[in-house]
Amino acid sequence: MTHVSIKKLTKIYPGSTEPSLDNLSIEIESGSLTALLGPSGCGKTTTMKMIAGLLSQTSGDVTFDNISILNEKPENRGVVMVFQNHLLFPYMNVLDNIGFGLKMRNVDKEEIHQRVIEMLELVKLPKLEKRMPKELSGGQQQRVALARALIVQPKVLLLDEPLSNLDAHLRFEMRDLIRNLQQSMGITTIFVTHDQEEAVVLADKVALILDGKLKQYDEPDVFYKRPIDEATARFFGGQNFINGASKNGLFESSVGKFKIPEICMKGKGILTFRPENIQISNSKSTLNSVKAKIIEKIFLGTQTRLKLSIDSEIIQVIANPNEVENTETGVEIFINFPPSSLWVMPK
Amino acid sequence: MIEKPTLLSNSFRFITIAMLITWLVLPLIPLAIWSFAKGWFFPHILPKYWSLKAWEYALSDTAGVLDSLWLTIFISAVATFLSILIGVPAGRALGMYKFKGKEIVELLILAPTIVPGIAVVLGIHSVFISIGLTNTVTGVILVHLIPTLPYMVLVMSGIFANFDAEFEDQARSLGASPIKTFWYITLPAILPGIIVGGLFAFLVSWSQYILTLLIGGGRVLTLPLLLFNFATSGRNDITGAIGMIYILPGIIILLLTAKHLSGRSAVGGFGQI
Amino acid sequence: MSDRTKILLLLAPALSIIIILFFGGLFAGLLRSFNYMPIIGLTEPNFEAYISVFKSKEFYLSFILTFHIAFTSTVISAILAIGSALLLRRNFLGKSVINFLFQINLTVPHLVGAIGILYLFSQSGSFARLAAEWGMIARPAEFPELVFDPYAIGIILQYVWKEIPFIGVIVLANMQSLGEDYESVARSLGANRWQAFRYVLLPLIFPGVLSASVIVFAFTFGAYEIPAILGANYPAALPVLAYRKYTDVDLAARPEAMAMAIVIAILSAVMIFYYLRYTRKKIRG
Repeated sequence: MTHVSIKKLTKIYPGSTEPSLDNLSIEIESGSLTALLGPSGCGKTTTMKMIAGLLSQTSGDVTFDNISILNEKPENRGVVMVFQNHLLFPYMNVLDNIGFGLKMRNVDKEEIHQRVIEMLELVKLPKLEKRMPKELSGGQQQRVALARALIVQPKVLLLDEPLSNLDAHLRFEMRDLIRNLQQSMGITTIFVTHDQEEAVVLADKVALILDGKLKQYDEPDVFYKRPIDEATARFFGGQNFINGASKNGLFESSVGKFKIPEICMKGKGILTFRPENIQISNSKSTLNSVKAKIIEKIFLGTQTRLKLSIDSEIIQVIANPNEVENTETGVEIFINFPPSSLWVMPK
Repeated sequence: MIEKPTLLSNSFRFITIAMLITWLVLPLIPLAIWSFAKGWFFPHILPKYWSLKAWEYALSDTAGVLDSLWLTIFISAVATFLSILIGVPAGRALGMYKFKGKEIVELLILAPTIVPGIAVVLGIHSVFISIGLTNTVTGVILVHLIPTLPYMVLVMSGIFANFDAEFEDQARSLGASPIKTFWYITLPAILPGIIVGGLFAFLVSWSQYILTLLIGGGRVLTLPLLLFNFATSGRNDITGAIGMIYILPGIIILLLTAKHLSGRSAVGGFGQI
Repeated sequence: MSDRTKILLLLAPALSIIIILFFGGLFAGLLRSFNYMPIIGLTEPNFEAYISVFKSKEFYLSFILTFHIAFTSTVISAILAIGSALLLRRNFLGKSVINFLFQINLTVPHLVGAIGILYLFSQSGSFARLAAEWGMIARPAEFPELVFDPYAIGIILQYVWKEIPFIGVIVLANMQSLGEDYESVARSLGANRWQAFRYVLLPLIFPGVLSASVIVFAFTFGAYEIPAILGANYPAALPVLAYRKYTDVDLAARPEAMAMAIVIAILSAVMIFYYLRYTRKKIRG
């Protein structure tokens, strides 16, 4: 179990003036599974390569259990990185691929064989040790790459986009496999992804990095309920933003006054709420209720998406198809905002 | 990998790169100096007297160097043209189709790139004598096809492997005749390959020595033959000048095609030069 | 027109040229090496040429010398080419310069390189003069024999000069298309720099190195003009010996020349065979 601290880690590539990673500081609990989330080019892979020792940092530090590792060679850090495209050595069979790290540590052949067979059981690929990488499916290759990393019992495991090359039905299987192995072996694991869904389903904590800077570091649900700013909210699929000002537990805007949670910030800000947390009714309720007109209605199978106008503001709502069965485009309805679903971000 | 570069590893790197660069240009230097030297004897590091005599000789109308130059250009140009004419269709067959016996055809066509010229040219010579092709330019051009044609086929099959035949089908369905389809669709797509392949086929022919010597019987005096004669007769100054003239086309061709020249297929033919 | 006919028509001209000229030449040489040439009245094939070739000491000396030249040149060139490629693959400043020099070298004919090596390494060449300047030798004869020498040092130097860039460009392109991620994986799995090179990069570039080396070996085994310029008179490299036999005033020596040509051809064929067998095996896994 290893506690990882990243302290003011910065990377400026030669020939560039803008940092690719700017003062990143996060604490990663030992044995946890943490996602570095951001669009491509945000600096997340750079971070991972610096932790692995495959790229040198410009400044800052990385410590494992309070000991800096930055002067260690990559092979001595106890960090293993699993690349997105698996990178199984093409001329080695599965046995030699998985056993590679042990061979580098001069473990004897018999033991390597033994441990590879055990590892193959763990990743649910029994009896495939003689196959060549190109004879495996994408999902199998991924599991071999994972086994190859886990067999050396790293202190820290780094995964690059672990689910993104997989079909939808394999994603959950792989997610469970990664979670189970990571939990049972207690390996502190960091993965990078550009896909917020991947981050949310897999991680204990998510660090959102935009343009080389850490935006927010929290549990996954917080990014939906209490995003730190509009860019963060938008990254997580937020669509509803209303300008106004927050004062004494109320948010005042051009479309009305809304009661908001006490912990919200004060002053000029942006009100946001998830499309799925809005209630629709035919009559005005007592709290946070406004009249809205349906301007578009799209049936999506298990849910219905509505585009509504409140005066000049346009908002998106996701409703239960049964609730809005009889409403049509052009009809006026009431919408209620439960105070606990509202959140105010700085402008 | 990132291993922080130390002063030691940096200077090691610098010194080895400097040595490599030196080694790469070194053999050309005495050749260039000789072409401007007048009597450059041991133990002088540099010539005592400089002169343009060797160049005057090489570029004069009477010495025959220029005649050799034009003859060499002619032979290489014709051999290249024929290689393109014959190599492009074969490249298309190998690059775009799968067929039974393809591996054998590839082996047949590529064999000349591995088997040295001396191994075949003696036999060819004994046949060419009886049909009157020895000592002729035609005979020399024909044997030059042995190294140039496989190279052209190699390059063109690579080009055609990346060419999507559906462009041609699209053109035909829009009403273009087969000839027009070739002219407007296929040719523009493969032209860069033809040009690069052709230029290097030219160089392959340009550098042939033993094939020309035997089939030309010393009567077809191309530049390399002349260069060899001067080099072995000890006229170092004239050898230097002819040597410089001889490497010029290669450098020009390189400058023209530098950006196309990477990877294995384009380079493969250099084993022949 | 069926695809079959189409393919046949596309291939016909190239195949005819190769079969008639190349394989025809080989075949004519083969017949001639058996003293069989009906046109000039030789209708009873025999093994005399081969017997006389395999009985002569000069042939064996020649063969050994030629094999030594080809093998040594190929191995040294391949090792130095891999080294150069490793050195250059991340060197952004030097890369364009060296790339250009590599490619210039590729276009310079071997003959020119051979003459350059002669002027550099002969006993009155540039290096001998430098040695004299530094007082290491007084007369040209004191300078070590590096050309026309029995160990073919000059010839090997020329091939190394010319083939480092040839193999180097292929290896460099190979390394660049592989990227460094495979080595990164190896490093993060606990391989040190040497192990990452030995167990990961080297096996990955090996097929490319091998195919380039086969071309180099075959070329250096069969080239004429380089040993003709830089080689000792006795023993001469096999192609030089074959040429001498062929142009001998005694026409009876011609079948012997043909027999040597066939030996060279067979050696190349063996090279191709093993090369193909190796690569097929690799591809099939």
